[in-house]
Amino acid sequence: MATYQYFIDYFNEAPSLIKLAWVTICILFTAIVILTIYLKLIRTALRKKNTESAKFKAEYEATLIEYLYSGSENGDINDLQIATIEKLKTSVHIKSKRKIIISILYNLMNEVSGEMSDSIKTLYFKTGLYNYALSRLENKNWYIIAKGIGELTRFKIEEAHDLVVPFIKHPRHEVRKETQLYMVNMFRFNGLTFLNDLKEPLSEWAQVQLLETLQKFDDQQICDIKPWLKSTNNSVVLFALKLAKIYNQFETKDTLMELLSHPIKEIRVKVIRVLTNLYGIEAKEMLKANFNELSLEEQISFFGLLEKLVVPSDEPFIEKHLFHKNFEIQLLALKILKSINLDKFMGLSKSPKNKSNKKILKFVTNI
Amino acid sequence: MDTSTVKIILQILHYLFFGYAFAAITSYIILSIISGKETIEYLKKNSFVNYKDILSSTMSPSITIIAPAYNESLNVVENVRSLLSNHYVNYNVIIINDGSTDNSLEKLIEAYDLEKVDFIINEKIKTQPLRAGVFKSKNPAFEKLMIVDKENGGKADTLNMGLNISKSKYVACIDVDCLLLEDALQKMIKPFLEETDAKVIATGGVIRIANSCIIRGGKLIDVNLPKKLLVQSQILEYLRAFLLGRMAWSRLNGLLVISGAFGIFDKETAIAVGGYDTKTVGEDMEIIVRMRRYMEEKNEKYKVSYIPDPLCWTEAPDNYKIFISQRNRWTRGTIETLKKHRKIGFNRNYGSFGMLSYPYWLIFERLAPIIEVIGIVYFAILIILKEVRWEYALSFLLLAYIFSVLFSIIALYSEELTFHQYKKKGTGYKLVLLTALEPFVLHPFILYAAIKGNYDYYFNKKKKWGVMQRKGLAST
Amino acid sequence: MSKNKIVLAEDNSTLSLLLKFRLEKEGYDLFIAKDGREAIDLIEKETPDLILTDIMMPFVSGLEVISHLRLKLDLDTPIIVFSSAGQEEMVIKAFNLGANDFMGKPFSPNELIIRVKRLLN
Repeated sequence: MATYQYFIDYFNEAPSLIKLAWVTICILFTAIVILTIYLKLIRTALRKKNTESAKFKAEYEATLIEYLYSGSENGDINDLQIATIEKLKTSVHIKSKRKIIISILYNLMNEVSGEMSDSIKTLYFKTGLYNYALSRLENKNWYIIAKGIGELTRFKIEEAHDLVVPFIKHPRHEVRKETQLYMVNMFRFNGLTFLNDLKEPLSEWAQVQLLETLQKFDDQQICDIKPWLKSTNNSVVLFALKLAKIYNQFETKDTLMELLSHPIKEIRVKVIRVLTNLYGIEAKEMLKANFNELSLEEQISFFGLLEKLVVPSDEPFIEKHLFHKNFEIQLLALKILKSINLDKFMGLSKSPKNKSNKKILKFVTNI
Repeated sequence: MDTSTVKIILQILHYLFFGYAFAAITSYIILSIISGKETIEYLKKNSFVNYKDILSSTMSPSITIIAPAYNESLNVVENVRSLLSNHYVNYNVIIINDGSTDNSLEKLIEAYDLEKVDFIINEKIKTQPLRAGVFKSKNPAFEKLMIVDKENGGKADTLNMGLNISKSKYVACIDVDCLLLEDALQKMIKPFLEETDAKVIATGGVIRIANSCIIRGGKLIDVNLPKKLLVQSQILEYLRAFLLGRMAWSRLNGLLVISGAFGIFDKETAIAVGGYDTKTVGEDMEIIVRMRRYMEEKNEKYKVSYIPDPLCWTEAPDNYKIFISQRNRWTRGTIETLKKHRKIGFNRNYGSFGMLSYPYWLIFERLAPIIEVIGIVYFAILIILKEVRWEYALSFLLLAYIFSVLFSIIALYSEELTFHQYKKKGTGYKLVLLTALEPFVLHPFILYAAIKGNYDYYFNKKKKWGVMQRKGLAST
Repeated sequence: MSKNKIVLAEDNSTLSLLLKFRLEKEGYDLFIAKDGREAIDLIEKETPDLILTDIMMPFVSGLEVISHLRLKLDLDTPIIVFSSAGQEEMVIKAFNLGANDFMGKPFSPNELIIRVKRLLN
C-alpha cells in the first residue's frame, strides 16, 4: 500500500511533461496488451477457419462430383440430385461455405465442357447462388459489384444481361472492365460494341483479357474493325491493331495504310508490324520512300517488315543501310542481304575496306 | 567556457534530439496510417482479379528473368528449375554466370543438356566480355532457358549484360538463390498493364525470409519460424519494412528502393538511363533513383509500383558476422546513392521525389545512426557532468521502447490480416514476444553496422574496393 | 487380367477428383499427382499404362514430364496432354517430345474416356 501511495505522490508532484509521458506509456501499454489478446483471437479464428474450409472443401467436392455424375442422359433431375441441391441450399446461406462452393464449381467450370458445364450451371441456379450474385450488383461498394459481375461471367449467366449492362458506364475502371469482359464472354465480338464510344483508355490488362476471351470461342466470325482503327481513343486503335493481327484482317489494309501517318509513334510502329503480318507490299514502297523521315523505332520495325517481304529489287535500298548507326538495323540489313544476294554478302566479309561491324558480319555469316 | 554556455549548448542539443525523435515518431504514425489505407485498397482490388487469362495469354507482354550467379554451384541447378516453372507463358530465363570459379557452368550444362550457340550481343551498356559464351538447351522442355558465361564484373555488370541480351519488354532482376513462387510474374506484371495515366517504370516485390522453411525441389512446402533469435528478428524487421513502410511509400509514389533480390523493370527505361551502376555497392537503390530522376527530368508521368504478396523467399544471414557485413554494405549503398543524386534533395523541380522521399531517406535513414550515436555520446557527457535528469531520461526511454513495440505489433497485424504466412499454433506468441526482444537483439547490431559502414565509406577506401571485386551473391 | 494403371498429373484438385471418379468407374486404377515432380515419382514407382498430364503445372511442367519419360526413362507409355487456350505452341512442343494426344480445356470427360480407351487398346 505504501509503495502504491508513493507512486501516486510521485506522479502528482512530477512535472507535466513527465506526467504526459507516463500517461502515454500507460495508454500504449494497454493498447499492446489488448492488441496481443486480440491477435491471439484472430490467429485462432483464422486457423479454425482454414481447417474447416479444408474439411468442407473435401466433403463438398465429393458431393458435387457425385451430383454431376448421377445426372441422367436426358438432363432430368433425379432424387439424389434433388437431395444434393437441398443440402447445398442450406450451406449457401453461410458466406464462408458459399465461397468454397463457388470456388469448387468455378474450378470445374473452367476445365470441363458440354453436358457437364450445363449441369454446373443448373446447379448454380437451383442452389440460389445466382440470387446472391444478383444481390451483389446492388451493393454500394464497387468491389463487391465487380466481384458479382466477375462471378456471373465465369458461370456464363446470360440471363443477367439486362442487370449488368448499365455498369459499362460505372465510374470505377475495375467495374467497367468486369462489365466489358462479361459482354464479350456472352456475346463475343458483338460484346465489343462498347468500344464505339469508349472515352476512357482501355488498359493493357483489359485488352489482354478481352483477346483471351475472344480466342476461347470456336466461332471466330469477326466483325468490322475499321471504325475502331479510326477511333480517336488511342487505346482502342491499339486494341483494334491487335485484333487485325490475330484475325488476319486483310480487308483493313487501306485503313492501316492511313494509320502510318498517325500522330502517335507507338501506333505507327505497331501498324508496321501488323502490315508485316498482312503482307503489306504497298506499305513497303511507301515507307521505303520516306525512310529517312521515320523515327528510329519505325525504321527498325520497317526492317522487320523487309525481312519478311523483301524482293531482289530492294537490294540497293538494303545496301544503302548496311552501315546504319543502329545495331538492329545493321543486323537485319546484313541478314536480308545474305538472303537475297549471297555472293555480294560474302564479298562484303572479304572486302577489307568495309566499315560494318565485324562481329555482326561474322555472326550473320554463321547463321 | 563557463558553465552557462555549456548549459545553453546542452539545452539546444536537448531540443534538437527531442524534435528529431518527435518527427520520427510522427512519421511512423503517418506511414502506418497510409499503409493501412493502401493495404485495404489493395485487398479490395485483388478480391476479384482473374489472373488466368493473363498467365496463359501469348498476348501478354514478354518478361525476361535475369539471374546473376556467382559461385552458386551448390544450389544452382534446383534454383534454375524453380525459375523455369513460373506460371506465365511469355517469359524466358537468363542465368548469367559472373566468372564463377566453381563448377556451376558444368553442372548446368549437364543438368539441362546445354549446347553452345552462336550469339551476338548488342552492347547498349558496356560490360565485361563473354567467357565461355552463350548456351541453350537441346531439350525443348527447357526452351525458356539461356545460360550465359561471362568474365567476372560484379552483380551490376552482370545484370547489365542481361539487359543487353533480353529481347523482352520487361526484365525481372532477381538473385539466383531466391525462391520465386509460381504466380510471381503474373502478379508483378499487373501494375505495368493496369496503369493508364502514368508510365510504370518498375515494380518491387516483397522479400520473405526462407530460413527454416521447408523447400523441396525448388518449391515452398511449409513456412516455419526459424529458431535463431537473429533470424526471427529479421523477419519482424522485414514485415515492418515491407508491409508498413514500403506499402505507404508506394501509395505516395515515393519508393526509392526495390530490393535487388526481386524487382521488375521497364527494360527500355533501364537501358535509357545506362543500366546498373557498377561503381556502387548499392546498385539496386541507385538504379531506381536514377530512373526516377530520368523520368522527372523528361517531365513524363511515371510510377514505381509495389506488390506486397509474399512471392520471393530468400535466406537471411543467420550469424552476426554476415549480418553486420550485409548491413554495412547497405549503409554504404545508401550513402553513395544519396550523395550521387544530391541534386534532387530539397529541389522543387523534382516534385515530391525531391521534397519528400529524398529528404526522408536522408534524415531518417541515412542520418539516423549518426544522430543516434551523437545522442548516446551526449547522454554520456550528461552523466559525467551529472546533468542527467533521470526521471525524464527513463520515462522517455520507456516511452520510445513501448512505442517501437507497438509499431511492431501493428506490423504483425497487417501480416495476419493479409497474408497470414506463419499459421502454426504457438507462433503468434513467439512473434509477440519478439516485438519486445527485437529492439535488443537487432537494433544494436544494425547501429554498429551502420556506423562501421559510414567509417568504411569515408576512411577505409581499400575495403570498399575489396568488397566490390568479390561482390557476387555469396554474401547475401 | 489386372487393371490398367493411369497416372494423372493435374494441379486442379477438383478436376483430378472428377476424372478419377470417372475413370475408376471405367475400371482403371488411378494415381494422382499434384505437380510434375510428383508425377515423375509416381511414374517411376508405378510404371503406368497411360499418362494424363496438364501442360502448365507448378515446379515441373508437363513438358518436362514427357521429356523425362521419353528421354531419361526411355519409355513409350502413351501420353495425353491437357492444355488451355493460348498454349498451342506448347502443345506442338509436347508432340515433338513424344506426346500421343492432346485435349484442349475445357473438355468433356466423356470424350477423354473415348481417347483413353483408344490409346489403351
